[in-house]
Amino acid sequence: MHCEMILDEYRESLPVFERILYVILDNIRKRLNDNHVVVAGLEGRVKTEKSLAGKLELKGYKYHTLSDITDIVGVRIITFFSDEVDIISALVEKLFVIDWENSVDKRKMLEIDRFGYMSLHYVCRIPESLYSDPAMPQLNDLRFELQMRSALQHVWANMQHDTGYKSDVEIPVEHQRSLNRLAGILELADEQFSRIRKEINDYRRNVQSLVASGNFDEVPLNGDTFRSYCDLNPFKRLADKIATINQAEIYDDSLMPYYKVLLHMGMKTIGDIERMRQEYSDSAYQLALIQLAGTGLDIVAYSVTLQNLCIVCMLKQGFGEAGLIRMFEGIYGPSDYNNQRAQRIFEQAKRINLI
Amino acid sequence: MQVSISSQDSKTLVTLDGRLDTSNVDQFQKDIAPLMQGDNPNIEIDCQRMTYTSSQGLRMFLMLQKSVMARHGKMVMVGMIPQVKEVFDITGFSNIITII
Repeated sequence: MHCEMILDEYRESLPVFERILYVILDNIRKRLNDNHVVVAGLEGRVKTEKSLAGKLELKGYKYHTLSDITDIVGVRIITFFSDEVDIISALVEKLFVIDWENSVDKRKMLEIDRFGYMSLHYVCRIPESLYSDPAMPQLNDLRFELQMRSALQHVWANMQHDTGYKSDVEIPVEHQRSLNRLAGILELADEQFSRIRKEINDYRRNVQSLVASGNFDEVPLNGDTFRSYCDLNPFKRLADKIATINQAEIYDDSLMPYYKVLLHMGMKTIGDIERMRQEYSDSAYQLALIQLAGTGLDIVAYSVTLQNLCIVCMLKQGFGEAGLIRMFEGIYGPSDYNNQRAQRIFEQAKRINLI
Repeated sequence: MQVSISSQDSKTLVTLDGRLDTSNVDQFQKDIAPLMQGDNPNIEIDCQRMTYTSSQGLRMFLMLQKSVMARHGKMVMVGMIPQVKEVFDITGFSNIITII
């Protein structure tokens, strides 16, 4: 009988639960966005009447009123890495009122020789300071459940659910053992992903500080280091000088298309690029001068600096027209025009005694 | 500069004929204004008959390219004669705009 009363209460309160779910998801999305946190998934649901009836049938004796049931509204945040769960929980704690007595950190509940479900469960309320509606005063009293777990923990939880691993039906020991072994692998993988990510971040920070401190010869050339080097705006002086030819505006475009060119040119460290800049900036300017003077073209892309430096470097190293053609093919793709382009530049280079 | 705009399959074809310079850049801006709207634009600019572009023309192409990219679309310039390509090369605009 009291289960029927709880179900009646549920039906009456359904619009409130739906509003609660909307407020939770909306605020979590905003908070994640404001903090530039990207998650693998954010999902939520209001428990269906059928599901609630099933729960009451099994455990109805535990609940006196609807407000005793904390998972009518359930929200799940799935992170990419296990160590991000703590970041998410810190954000969530600032948003909602946490019922600590009923919240569980299942990550800390497993015995040292056991593997399995690891997730952080908070039971929460929406504080009036976050959202309130005079037409729905119970909105701030009703509790909801918030689960936070990594993508691999999520996979494990779904597999447990699908295989009926936690059901009352006993499954053979060999299958239980296989599932336990799998849980161990997932936990290990989760930990390793976090560790590798931390090491990559440490490496990036280290490289950025080496680049910033000017220890260019110690910095291997790769996509990350080249980007950090470009952030220092190393060709600004050359760009400014080229811009004076026609009092031009400089359009700040990306230098990344030249990353592969630099690799093809045999550059191994950021120091190699820096030496090219120091040795050939004057010649790169001379090339721009012969090309742009008298044209009236008063806009140039920033990348024209590295373009001309690479051209000069190729010619100075004796790669000739054929080297230029290969370089243009690397940047623009194969075309007959690359031959004309290389021929024209080769002639210009001869006129200014570059070769 | 003659500008004609037509739809072809899933793309918008813009055909340019003549010089693009200070004398006609304002009109060109008006001509391409409709191309600054809509989702996922796919624009092909036929430059076979374009004989010259000034830096103001380059700015127009840059503006259109930025608009197209902001709307997750694609813009390519095709059939450009070598003299016009040279303008794109020496200003570094060949690094910004896709020229086929």
